Amino acid sequence: MSTPAPPSASTPQGGAPPVRTVFCQNCGGSVTIRFVGRTINVVCGSCGSILDAADPNVRVLQGAQNAINQVQPLIPLGTRGKWRGQLYEAIGFQRRSITVEGQEYSWAEYVLFNPYRGYRYLTEYDGHWNDATPVTGLPTPQATGAQYLGLTYKHFQTANAVTRFVLGEFPWQVRVGDRAAVKDYVSPPYVLSEEKVDGEVTWTMGEYVLGKDIWKSFHLPGSAPAPIGIYLNQPAPLSASWKELWVAFVMMLMCVGIVFFLDEALAAKEQVLDRTYRYTGPPITGDPSFVTPVFELKGRVSNVEIRTETDASNQWIFINYALINSETGAAYDLGREVSYYSGSDSDGSWSEGSKNDDVLVPSVPAGHYYLRVEPEGDASLGPVRYSIIVSRDIPPFPLFLAAFFALLIPPILIGWRAFSFERKRWAESDHPMVTTSSDDDDD
Amino acid sequence: MRRSFFCPSCGARVEFMWSSSVQTTCEFCRSILVRHDVDLTLVGKVSDLPPDVSPIQIGTEGRFNNDNFAVAGRIIYEYDQGAWNEWHLVLSDGRSAWLSDAQAQYVVTVASAETDLPLQDVLYPGKSYAWNGVTYQVTTLTRANYRGVQGELPFEYWDKERATFADLRSTTGAFATLDYSDDEPKLYVGEMVDFDSLRLTNLRAFEGWS
Amino acid sequence: MLTKLYAMYGAAVLATLTFGVYRGWSFASVDEVKNVPQSVRDNPGSYRSAYSGYRRYTGGK
Repeated sequence: MSTPAPPSASTPQGGAPPVRTVFCQNCGGSVTIRFVGRTINVVCGSCGSILDAADPNVRVLQGAQNAINQVQPLIPLGTRGKWRGQLYEAIGFQRRSITVEGQEYSWAEYVLFNPYRGYRYLTEYDGHWNDATPVTGLPTPQATGAQYLGLTYKHFQTANAVTRFVLGEFPWQVRVGDRAAVKDYVSPPYVLSEEKVDGEVTWTMGEYVLGKDIWKSFHLPGSAPAPIGIYLNQPAPLSASWKELWVAFVMMLMCVGIVFFLDEALAAKEQVLDRTYRYTGPPITGDPSFVTPVFELKGRVSNVEIRTETDASNQWIFINYALINSETGAAYDLGREVSYYSGSDSDGSWSEGSKNDDVLVPSVPAGHYYLRVEPEGDASLGPVRYSIIVSRDIPPFPLFLAAFFALLIPPILIGWRAFSFERKRWAESDHPMVTTSSDDDDD
Repeated sequence: MRRSFFCPSCGARVEFMWSSSVQTTCEFCRSILVRHDVDLTLVGKVSDLPPDVSPIQIGTEGRFNNDNFAVAGRIIYEYDQGAWNEWHLVLSDGRSAWLSDAQAQYVVTVASAETDLPLQDVLYPGKSYAWNGVTYQVTTLTRANYRGVQGELPFEYWDKERATFADLRSTTGAFATLDYSDDEPKLYVGEMVDFDSLRLTNLRAFEGWS
Repeated sequence: MLTKLYAMYGAAVLATLTFGVYRGWSFASVDEVKNVPQSVRDNPGSYRSAYSGYRRYTGGK
């Protein structure tokens, strides 16, 4: 009682974290406990028995695991790497599984440890990885999801997870056969997992990470296995926020509107010819074609509208137009058809076609022009009266329409792509998206 | 402020670094010593402590809520999932706070003056309580054993048999502990903290880990 | 990121539209012919239009 103990018995001032080597009471193999004090259970690497690391006699808590020689963790235990800015060592590994509709799905969990910053976990399923840490706040469960730190997570799946295989060191009591009720809530790239054991709830926050980043950080040989399928919190590729995209669309549409109204206000809309003719059929001799008087197009290069107004009634007329520059001989050649039919039948009255037509001749320079007109028709249907009205610099409505569709197509494509990605994601969940089509792709 | 005494058990020099401290342990013989006005009373002895795993040690300094603190002592508890440390922090104004290191998850709490506290047997995981406008939910009930003490503590604390703790959390990371180790329940409130945010210095060095 | 890309694309569409409107672009199918002789004015039948010879199916015989 009164003999002073050596000072070394007090606070140790440094050194490596205490390491202890013990012998497995099941198979006699030597087992190293790398983080004495932190580690609660350690698994014998030779026979797979689970040992009580806190017990001085390292008693066996659970017997050997048959799979000990078959399971090879992708990250070998003892591997160190700089992960998320800090040095971590892979110290524990477990395989757990859930059974859904008779099908067993199993995944791997790696325990990472840093003596200062504590534990974090890497989970792997079919090449998909998650970096998981304990949550600091308590998520609030809701009817269809959970709320956590301002983000809404949607419920994905509820299942019973069973521990199938364990290896290495664990900071908690672990047994093969352990069961936990697991609920996953997703908000890609995050997943909130709620695990319930004996009424006590633990929440973990996972973030989707790339296998190749893990391979790089932990200097693993070869390359990370390619992920298969779509994982529950895998971020959608080339994803864009819906709202942002539609706001951009509406804003650009408004710009199109501004250009349209400016053009409406500023375009010359200058009429240069208005002539009326009558088509009664091809002449007995000679050619049906004729020319109009010369008219002048002024100003800058602009479009020229050729409008054909007829009194066609159950008739058709086809006109070959040539807009010819009387000075240079340059011509714009085009053919227009006007036809209008109407009548009535058992469904009521109907009509087809139009009495009028207009066309925009593109980019015509200023100069003196005339039109060569060559009408064709069916004289047996009676004569057709037609007016030819030529104007320059007319607001080109089809151009604006084309711009509208050019702007609309990307959001539709992106939306469709995102929708089909989400449909595949949720197909694996408790809440598959309802589809109207009757496809049942099972991939 | 620093007061020197001699250990009544082994005669070694024992110093109180903090005026608010009431109890300390002799560095040499692990006697638990309680300070009365001028002398020290030997009240017990600390048995062998579990392996030291915390990166925190007596003398570690850091920052919390824009205030400096120094680690003066600790209480060690043991439960079925291992041991944990409640490090006694002395803040710059001399008040006490606690930094708990359980499985390397860090929580800083201070004693609350709240007296209207629930009794132990009405608690269950999931039950909610509100103190000072913050709603907490009971997450875990821990039955622990007192395992030992080290350094300076703001009260007399030794030789406890069993202690029950209830941990409570809020949705935003606020943390509360109901301590049932004494006759009257005591409430500690604070928050879960990120190791790096404490900007700790004079830590234990772990070889091979920086 | 994708929104930015879309905005850039949209800006290009707008620029093209504005330029097209200014330059009098059109989607109409028009054949440009060079050096039409002056004589066409006096003898329109001598011109061979790319669209002549059109014979339309009229539904009946």
